[in-house]
Amino acid sequence: MKPITIALIALIVVATLGLTQVVFTVDQTERAIVLELGRPVGDVALEPGLHFKLPVVQNVVFFDSRILDFDARPEEITTADKKYMNVDSYTKWRIYDPLTFYTKVRSVQGAQARLDDIIRSQLRVAVGRYTLIEVVSHKRLEIMTAVTERSRELLRPYGIEVVDVRIKRTDLPPENARAIYGRMKAERERQARQYRSEGREASARIIAEADKQRAIILADAEKEAEIVRGDGDAQATAIYAEALGKAPDFYDFMRSLEAYRKSFGDNTRFIMTPESQFLRHMR
Amino acid sequence: MNWDWEKLQKQQQGRPGGKPPGFDDFQQHFQKFKNFKVPGWKLVVPLLIVLWIASGFYIVEPDEIGVVKRFGEFDRITTPGPNYHIPFPVESAVTPKVTQIQRLEFGFRSVARGLLQSNFQQGVSREVPEEALMLTGDENIVSVQFTVQFMIKDAREYLFNVASPEATIVHVAESAMREVIGRSRIDDALTTGKQDIQVETRDLMQQILDSYESGINIVAVQMQNVHPPDEVIEAFKDVASAREDSSRFVNEAEAYERDILPKARGEAARIVNEAQAYTEAKVRRSQGDASRFLAVLTEYNKAKDITRRRLYLETVESILQNPDVEKLIMADDALKKSVPYLPLDKLPRQATPSQAKQ
Repeated sequence: MKPITIALIALIVVATLGLTQVVFTVDQTERAIVLELGRPVGDVALEPGLHFKLPVVQNVVFFDSRILDFDARPEEITTADKKYMNVDSYTKWRIYDPLTFYTKVRSVQGAQARLDDIIRSQLRVAVGRYTLIEVVSHKRLEIMTAVTERSRELLRPYGIEVVDVRIKRTDLPPENARAIYGRMKAERERQARQYRSEGREASARIIAEADKQRAIILADAEKEAEIVRGDGDAQATAIYAEALGKAPDFYDFMRSLEAYRKSFGDNTRFIMTPESQFLRHMR
Repeated sequence: MNWDWEKLQKQQQGRPGGKPPGFDDFQQHFQKFKNFKVPGWKLVVPLLIVLWIASGFYIVEPDEIGVVKRFGEFDRITTPGPNYHIPFPVESAVTPKVTQIQRLEFGFRSVARGLLQSNFQQGVSREVPEEALMLTGDENIVSVQFTVQFMIKDAREYLFNVASPEATIVHVAESAMREVIGRSRIDDALTTGKQDIQVETRDLMQQILDSYESGINIVAVQMQNVHPPDEVIEAFKDVASAREDSSRFVNEAEAYERDILPKARGEAARIVNEAQAYTEAKVRRSQGDASRFLAVLTEYNKAKDITRRRLYLETVESILQNPDVEKLIMADDALKKSVPYLPLDKLPRQATPSQAKQ
């Protein structure tokens, strides 16, 4: 009874271990190839799910089937106008043919070395076609498309599919940045000057116009005032003339008397003789 | 226990192959346990089996989605609520959060990346210049700080298609924003064009991420703080103050205008009114004078001579009444004998012989 039990337990343990040698699963994020004595078996990679293999002589290599990242070091590249710039790019790639991949590059490390080589040189070529400012602004897309397509072609034989190469940053060398800052400053200063002088101009216009308006208003008023005064004088003259015309002599006499009264005030010396009209009765 | 077993049976009915996967495994376990000399093993073994079966239960929360793999291969998506999968090693389940919006920061750091902070304050953020500085299409440099909000839109794609989703979003965001800014003008980026840049960047990011089949949805790209680089910020500020100066000059001029014109109009009214007053007074005075003259004339005509004399005498009297008027009466002969001598330089007074005439 007892030896049988022990044997049974041993059998179960061995069977369990054996099972792992025969059965294996491939995850949804992976593809796998079975190697028999180092050579791939079959001509397609295994899809996710449950698979079987021969124990001992066959072993399994798993490959990530997801889109992988390759973030290259920023690189100094010369542009068409002989300026240097730091171009930082990233590459998205995937192992599309694990069998080829395994025979050509073996591992992800090997692939990265290839990617680094090819993408770096393609980027150099593409960026070298354009001037610095073109690279930065409107030629970006052309460069990325060109590098992606060319690298894709070159890396296909390794079982690698280049999904996308994109430029992240394009940093300018310090002296270019300084030049740009200088230009930006100058541009803004010009704008500021323009705003201020335009403001002054508008202000001067308004003030001059206002002064003119004031002058016109006052002159108009003076004119009207003179007209009104003249009218008054005319009316008064007419009224006087009408009244006085009725007795010019009498007016003359009256007005003279009034004039004497007003004129002979203080500091007047009268020398009279009894002959005078006024003293007649004193004789 | 019976019920559990039935449930397991039911689970397996919909599948090809009557024998449940992992059955062998289970049998081996069973055998192992059978031979242990544990007191009461008849009770322990079924208990272990029950536990193993129960380990297939999992809860999918309302904000999650269940993704079940069988032998590593994607099998099905499950909805929120209690769910069941065939226990290890046959099936496994993961429950990514699909409604949670995550947030990434670019050009600045307020908190650790990838955490959505509701109490986000811009004041406590730190700028990261090498990330923020970008070139614009009109050859200017601008500092852009922005955030990207994303969520999982397809759990299956998100889990299985891209190796490092978050790093991918970071790369794509940087690349897309720089591409869009590289097409824009600095003044747009700083002022009115922000909305367009945000939308354009969001769309570009979405397009790139869709091309990777990443299962990620970019909810929003938001520009937090866009400003000119520190080296030139003074010049930019000066432009703003120049604008203000300009409108201040104009405002001051308009204020001057609004000040002097009403004053001038008031002055004008005064001038005209004075003239009118002068006229009215003058006319009235002349009318008064005229009627007075006519009144006197009427009486005068009645007794011309005597009135004339009376008026004459009254006038002379009123003149001579003034004590300051010197009166000198000389006889005619004396006057005739005296030499008329007029010391003009010495005399402060003027002697005027009055010859009142008839």
